[in-house]
Amino acid sequence: MGNEAIAWGLLREGVSFVTSYPGTPASEILEAVMRFNEEYQLGIFAQWSINEKVAFELALAHSWLGGRSAVSMKQVGLNVALDPLMSAAYTGVKGGLLVISADDPGPYSSQTEQDSRFLAMFAKIPVFDPSSPKEAMEMIKEALELSERYRIPVMLRPTSWVCHARQGIVLEEELKSNPKILSLDKDPSHWAALPRRRYVLHKELNEKLRSIQKENAFRKIVFKRAKKAVVSSGFPFALLMDVLKSLNLEDSLDIYKVDRSFPLSLSLSEELSSYEEILVLEETYPVIELQIPYREKTKGRLDGTVPSEGELRPENILEALHILLGDLIFEKKNPLKEGAPPRLCPGCPHRAAFWAIKKAFPQGLLPSDIGCYTLGLEMEAVDAFLCMGAGVSLAEGFYLALKNAAQKIPPICSTVGDSTFFHACIPALIDAVNKKAAFVLVILDNATTAMTGGQPTPSNPPKDLRKVEMEKVIKGCGVEFVKVVDPFDFSEMVKSLKEAYAFCQEKEIPAVVISRSPCPLYKKVPPKRKLHFKEENCRGCMICVFESKCPALQEGEDKPIINWNLCRSCGLCAFICPNGALEVVEV
Amino acid sequence: MQLEIIIAGRGGEGVILLTSILTEGAFSLGIPVISSELHGMAQRGGSVISQVKLGDFYSPFIAYGNADYLIATSKEEAERNKIYLKPNGISFVNSSDPLPFHIDASTLAQKMDHPRGANLILLGFSIEKMGLNEKPFLEAIERHSPPLWREKNKKAFLLGFSISKGKGT
Repeated sequence: MGNEAIAWGLLREGVSFVTSYPGTPASEILEAVMRFNEEYQLGIFAQWSINEKVAFELALAHSWLGGRSAVSMKQVGLNVALDPLMSAAYTGVKGGLLVISADDPGPYSSQTEQDSRFLAMFAKIPVFDPSSPKEAMEMIKEALELSERYRIPVMLRPTSWVCHARQGIVLEEELKSNPKILSLDKDPSHWAALPRRRYVLHKELNEKLRSIQKENAFRKIVFKRAKKAVVSSGFPFALLMDVLKSLNLEDSLDIYKVDRSFPLSLSLSEELSSYEEILVLEETYPVIELQIPYREKTKGRLDGTVPSEGELRPENILEALHILLGDLIFEKKNPLKEGAPPRLCPGCPHRAAFWAIKKAFPQGLLPSDIGCYTLGLEMEAVDAFLCMGAGVSLAEGFYLALKNAAQKIPPICSTVGDSTFFHACIPALIDAVNKKAAFVLVILDNATTAMTGGQPTPSNPPKDLRKVEMEKVIKGCGVEFVKVVDPFDFSEMVKSLKEAYAFCQEKEIPAVVISRSPCPLYKKVPPKRKLHFKEENCRGCMICVFESKCPALQEGEDKPIINWNLCRSCGLCAFICPNGALEVVEV
Repeated sequence: MQLEIIIAGRGGEGVILLTSILTEGAFSLGIPVISSELHGMAQRGGSVISQVKLGDFYSPFIAYGNADYLIATSKEEAERNKIYLKPNGISFVNSSDPLPFHIDASTLAQKMDHPRGANLILLGFSIEKMGLNEKPFLEAIERHSPPLWREKNKKAFLLGFSISKGKGT
């Protein structure tokens, strides 16, 4: 897998400190680093951080001490780490620092389709844009050397189909441990620069970029001095090469492959001056396109030759080539029909919690956050979510806004996950206590970061790390009502939510219910209960299907159809059934 | 060899596992491999596909109308994804319909008391039809199976493989 190839590349180049916060499509990078670290006994530091900002700062500290470091995250994670990134571009680094930000064109599993290369450009750091797992692995060497040569952080920007592509790669070397003496050079003019010195650092940074521009980081793939050229980078380059194979375009196109999207090599711009027309194929924003100085003869996203949103498919490449060459014949196909939407898994404790929230607050205003629980949308138990941590601030904001407008305030109940709570909810919760915002916060504590593959959280760390008690943190934020409930204790859950609401109303303070039950995907508990369907009692009302939205239940002609392969006997449908047709028995 | 294969199913059914077994097995046979698979949100029960290309390719993406084979875990997913198939492409489908290239893997899996092995039965069936040697795929299954399920998984794969052999095409 691409993410494993990246991990291998990091360790092969002697990176000895890797941090990350999980997020699709980047999660498996650190997981693979941890696996190789153990397998080859490398003794490197490889740990999940509480969020991307902390992850970035830890890796930067290691780099300042002289060691090679890497930090990986998904593209929206880079937004969280943008503050230290902007500043680190000025301060520079000592040991090579590779910032891996994985983009998600489509998007498949993200809030935005943003292009991390723009943030590299914004921060004024170089960015490499691999087109395949193998290339991602190979680019790491060059990226780290560049980082050390110019003492500048360097970004590697893979996209989903590089991260989650599998490719056969023959590995020729074993990984070796490579210990290094670390120390901080006392150099406050770089590491601790005050604003007036920052001007000098900015100037240094600009000089670095000017020199880097002179280093070539592109390849001529086809060069026959044709009149038209295609410039491509990243995954679209791989698509382009496969599309070209199926066409006969012998002498009509020259092809340039860009490895470093920013800063674009000066000599590439010079070469491109001789073409009549240039097509740029890149993902997701026009980063290379904007750096090509010949606006009037450049085609791409800016003039609509390439769509401005969504991922590129072979069909888009073909259409763009058609626009460039005019004489290409291609048949437009209707896109794929919408498939089945994702849902909460059978046996998911979040389903039980959402059901209880709907029961307790049928008229509620229900913000949520980023994680599996966005799927509460399907159960109509989620009205809005934005980004990591906003579950708390949206609840606070709704309350304060309605209160300020002197309007009636419905019960506000927000849901956030355990990992998300630690990631970005804590300052928001303190603010909500401080501002007297009355809402119920349900922390869906399933003991893991479930959506991204089950990474640890501060309250459920691996054995060698110290546990941070969630309840203590919440109380430390100033919250007075904190109650832990098992969401599969259905009536107790509804009762606790109502209690929490009464408390928050009375005291004008957020009240917290911790809905605690492990994710069945990552903590396999042997089944102690078994669902039974007493068909003779069923009246075919289908309330079990509609209220639970469980994938194991399907509306049948006169009775629900139970998929016994999927059912985990969680008992929610049995609790919902008004006719006693579904029953859970202890086994 | 140049083969383009779509694996279609629902998240959580084991589409990623099938992709790993197919790609690793083919790579062991000395065939260059590139594939793609969906992770994250898409894994939660929604429709998912993996794309597998065997032979000399740059990208794992399959253009509509280019796939040689479609391996689908249900009739619904086969129907939805047939847009990927070549005019003469073949769908291998887990379904009880008595159609060519269909196999009732779910019932077979229930019978061998290994309901989650249905997709491995389907894979074994498909691999035999593609004319590939079963050995490296069995090795991949061994690597990817938890000890408890190792023998059952291999048995399921071999059941599909032998059914295909018996039936011809």
